[in-house]
Amino acid sequence: MWKLACVVLISACQLAAQSESKSSIEQARVMLLENAWNQAVQAKDARALDTLLAADMVYVEYDGTLMNKAEYLASVRSPPLDPLRIVNESMTVRLYDQVAVVNAVCRENGLKNGKAYSFRERFTDTWIRRGNTWECIASQSTLISPMTLTK
Amino acid sequence: MITTKPVARVVYSAFFLSLVVIILVQSVMAQGDSDAAAQTKIIALEHAWNLAETNKDSKALSAILEDSMVYVDYDGTLRTKAEFLARVKMSTTHPEQEVTESMTTRVFGSTAVATGIYVAKGVENGKPYLRRGRFIDTWALKNGTWLCVASQATPFIH
Repeated sequence: MWKLACVVLISACQLAAQSESKSSIEQARVMLLENAWNQAVQAKDARALDTLLAADMVYVEYDGTLMNKAEYLASVRSPPLDPLRIVNESMTVRLYDQVAVVNAVCRENGLKNGKAYSFRERFTDTWIRRGNTWECIASQSTLISPMTLTK
Repeated sequence: MITTKPVARVVYSAFFLSLVVIILVQSVMAQGDSDAAAQTKIIALEHAWNLAETNKDSKALSAILEDSMVYVDYDGTLRTKAEFLARVKMSTTHPEQEVTESMTTRVFGSTAVATGIYVAKGVENGKPYLRRGRFIDTWALKNGTWLCVASQATPFIH
């Protein structure tokens, strides 16, 4: 009897470990996608971004502007700011079944009308898993520190 | 018998095809109905949230927020559920009105994303405030109940 109990316990532990490891893999995948997003924005590569975003995604910019996917991609192709470096900090990914919710701080540096700018914002991105692919369905940013401009 | 066999086969195939089409249409309609029902529920929950916040009813709020939910406030402050509920209960804040405008809800199976404009009016630390901005709330269906798992506010900057 005790042997059966041991087998059941070991199997349960293995299943739990597998599930945990699967979750960690998915979290890591989403984090990689977040970094790929930053690189695509820096490179103004709307084509690369297109593959990360769901067709019906919504995007709320740090100033409260609401954009659909097409509007957001257009803003990436010809941005009002020229981002040179975009880095995410303190990123967390929470998984809920087929959905991942990402929270992080984004630090952006670049040029605006020839002047250097920088700001920090906090964002929430919601990703949905469709088949074997993660797609972002919602993204929103809020300024933590206002934009600073230096000569 | 031999000559009627192909006819029977055609009739059977047509019947089977019709059955498949009916089942497909019904399942699509049921999905539509279920999405519409979910949207109605989410809109009701968003209004309940506004009411609970105005009344400082943290118990009612707690019931619609998932334990691991994360809230990003209008100034970029990150709050856990407990921190958000504590802020709602603060004695120095007296909300008078919380209204939601232009709300849209999209349902993705057991997940829903609500987007809209919030207008919050009240008195904080003795000073009146009027805040207006955009929000996105993400809801997850857990054991038949919709719970908010993420919420963020972004003030309009003009």
